[in-house]
Amino acid sequence: MAESTGSETTSATGGEDGALEAKVLEEWLDAAYNCFSSGHKFCREVCPVMQVTRDERHTPTAFHANVVAMDKGLLSIEDVAEDYVHCTMCGACELRCPNTLFAGDFYRFRQRTISVVKAMRALAVEKGIHQKNWKRWAELTNRWGNEPVLGWATETGASKVRAWAVGLDIPTGGETVLFADCEAAFNRPSVPRAVALLLQAGGIEFGLMSQQWCCGGPMWETGYVDIAHTMAEHNLLDWRKTGTKRIICPDPHDYITIIEHYPELDEGFDEFEIVLALDLIAELIRDGKIELTTPIERTVTYHDPCRLNKRMGVWQAPREILRAIPGLTFVDVDHVTQWSYCSGAGSNLFVEKPELTAEISRRRLSKVAELGGGVDTLVSACPWSERPLTEAGKAAGIEVFDIFELVAEAAGFEV
Amino acid sequence: MAIATLDAAVVDELIAICGEEHVFTGRSALFNRARVPAPFPAHRWAEHIPQAVVLPTSAEQISEVVKLANRRGIPVVPRAGATGLTDGAVPLRHGILVDVKLMNRILEIDHEDRTVTVQPGINMLKLNEELRPHGYIYPDDPASYPCSLVGGRIGTNGWSLIGGRYGHTRDLVISFEIVLPTGEIIQVGDGGGRKTRKSSSGYQLKHLFMGHQGTLGIVTEATLELVPRPEAEFSAFFAYPSYLDGWKATGDFARSGLATLAGVVLFDEQKVRYLRRDDEAYIPQPDWVQTVVAVAMYGQGDEVRAGARQLMRISRANGSHYLGDEISQGDWAARHDRYATPQHGRTRNGQVALMSWHCEDAAIPYSKLPEVRERWHRIVDGLRERFDAFDDWGMFAYTNGAYKPWGDYLTEIDIGIWESKWDDEMWATWVDAKREIARVAIEAGGSISACHGSCREGEVDLVPMELGGGFEVMKKIKRVLDPDNIMNPGKYLLDQAYEIDADMTSREEE
Repeated sequence: MAESTGSETTSATGGEDGALEAKVLEEWLDAAYNCFSSGHKFCREVCPVMQVTRDERHTPTAFHANVVAMDKGLLSIEDVAEDYVHCTMCGACELRCPNTLFAGDFYRFRQRTISVVKAMRALAVEKGIHQKNWKRWAELTNRWGNEPVLGWATETGASKVRAWAVGLDIPTGGETVLFADCEAAFNRPSVPRAVALLLQAGGIEFGLMSQQWCCGGPMWETGYVDIAHTMAEHNLLDWRKTGTKRIICPDPHDYITIIEHYPELDEGFDEFEIVLALDLIAELIRDGKIELTTPIERTVTYHDPCRLNKRMGVWQAPREILRAIPGLTFVDVDHVTQWSYCSGAGSNLFVEKPELTAEISRRRLSKVAELGGGVDTLVSACPWSERPLTEAGKAAGIEVFDIFELVAEAAGFEV
Repeated sequence: MAIATLDAAVVDELIAICGEEHVFTGRSALFNRARVPAPFPAHRWAEHIPQAVVLPTSAEQISEVVKLANRRGIPVVPRAGATGLTDGAVPLRHGILVDVKLMNRILEIDHEDRTVTVQPGINMLKLNEELRPHGYIYPDDPASYPCSLVGGRIGTNGWSLIGGRYGHTRDLVISFEIVLPTGEIIQVGDGGGRKTRKSSSGYQLKHLFMGHQGTLGIVTEATLELVPRPEAEFSAFFAYPSYLDGWKATGDFARSGLATLAGVVLFDEQKVRYLRRDDEAYIPQPDWVQTVVAVAMYGQGDEVRAGARQLMRISRANGSHYLGDEISQGDWAARHDRYATPQHGRTRNGQVALMSWHCEDAAIPYSKLPEVRERWHRIVDGLRERFDAFDDWGMFAYTNGAYKPWGDYLTEIDIGIWESKWDDEMWATWVDAKREIARVAIEAGGSISACHGSCREGEVDLVPMELGGGFEVMKKIKRVLDPDNIMNPGKYLLDQAYEIDADMTSREEE
């Protein structure tokens, strides 16, 4: 049956008997009950996974109800661990939750489904319940320092993480560094190259880390918290070693991981400024420091990456940038409509359920095709999303670009 | 907690019918399909779980599952969105739960005859996203608009917030295909034509197979009305110093005869007080505002503009105070989200307690609204005195007629329940209160339920009283269509339909 899954159980690692489980339940029971008792389910049709699987186990409602059921002794983490794989952490459910929308400010409450999913995945790992491919991904990340984005057999790692920068004459360290995420650094080097060229053109001085490891985000997202800490602590140390104060992130996943998780680990985190490359480059274009003069004759629409749009409310800057590119015809789909869109790549869903990611991306591209109007290109601003979107784009006859690739081209660079 | 497992051979047969990937027996699959929104006796959760879940993809699969259930004597429980407020989708007797969510395709948009044919698992908001480029809407607009599904709307005989102009679910569903409790697949509508809106041919079976809470079959396809997307919307909120002032104004608006008037909503004094518990709703309103009325009009620009002018003239004549464009447009736009909020729950001494929302939803004649309101609030006061775990969240009254918003009103009282306090005594007290609330509705010449259905504990006891001889007919129909009581047993007192058999058998034995 369908629920016989890739979960595998090994002997529990760490944690005293049930201590973490008790902590998770204590921390999340009220919030879970807040969802359980209202039962609005407004989150459901906006959820990219639910839109495909139509399975109530994969709903934010279930993710909260399970906590209530575990507290009552009706379900155990063994029963539900695999259900929690079905989430891209896109954040649509949180935006759509009436509990948050209409009483959040007053009660200082937000339904935090993503945090619940993270907590339950971490609990599963602590109990020795692993998803086979996530475990492998975590082990290789831990071994190499960077994620195995090139496949299980092709080593990544800090010795190669700067390969994309060959010929760009970027120093090591310095007050500002560019933090290129694993996926782009190894799989889509045109993105960090484009960002680097644009920053140089805009007069921003920056370096690269002496040894950049994975930001740790996917480790937090899939429950391998210890490895996440190892990655983050290494990066923090590296920044301090080179006197770095400002970190520019082209990848929304890196950005949100660093601003959400690093402060938990580091009391002195306030000394760092974390900058989203998209904001910075929009500003450089606005201020005339980057001139876009090469026309790009494409009809594009924009994919709002979930972590930008749904999790951080960043949707204006990319539109401003696209409208500044000469020759470009921009057919926009508003960012609220896009609450229910996703690439399916988030939180390593593609590692464990590649067919689900592919279907979510296929549907995203079908939305592009429905636009008509000669749209030939989908632009995203998230390298992780671009992997499945590009694949789906091939089938749909739509080219997929990263926004920085187009901006660099418009600024006269070849990436 | 042990779950009585189905015979492995039955599970094998389900897999043979629906495919391995669409049959589930794992604990989380079962526990997460036991519930509908509140109130739910959470302390009795384990009593209400199915033994297997199937997600079929065709009418034929559902038919085969139902036939299998008949052969084996296993209950079948249909489940669409599971957003209902009675317990239609709750498996009271365990069995096989047929979840139709995977059947969510649009099968045909007919531009000439203005219909859309869909599978039962599609949601109205999603459907309207697809209809938008064509210039249509499907105007079935319940509070659960973003999450309920067409199949469940038919099973509950739903009500729409804008039904005063566009009609309710029964008016908007032209015909449908249904798997009967014995597995046959039939088409019901007005007469035989799938797209015929009005027929005098034969019995009018469409109504029979709507609102039965899954006791008479499982809808597998439906042909729905398409309406031109309205050019204009006019919404207005008015304030009053007392409930009776608001009630009178509601009647004025609803009886105005303005064809674009889609709905009138009356918020009573307790409801306004409840909304003042958060910082965004009515706190900016001065203290004299005790009651609020909302109206909404839809249609072509020319007709809505003219209608709105007339409506504003009526409002000036009857002493309504317009609350301004921001509330009028903003609160109306947010109508689906302004459901109810667990954190608004308050104990008697005003402490916040996370409470679930429960709504009793009678249909009440306009003339009886003030009387029913007083009696219902007294019932809830009584509950609150007995257990400091109930809270009165006020009342709404919504126009309830189709195409003509006067006459009777969907009248709801919202009650906060601190569910984590549930025990058998509190539950029994609650059930008694529900029965009394239902009795008041019947005594006022109304109906126990305008839109949720009336098959939960408490209220269901009075269904025979409300329907009179009609309930006897219901039982006969149930027995004929579902001879072995397979289809969603335990609902609507319909087990009584089979007690005749038991009586007969015992007499024969004597």
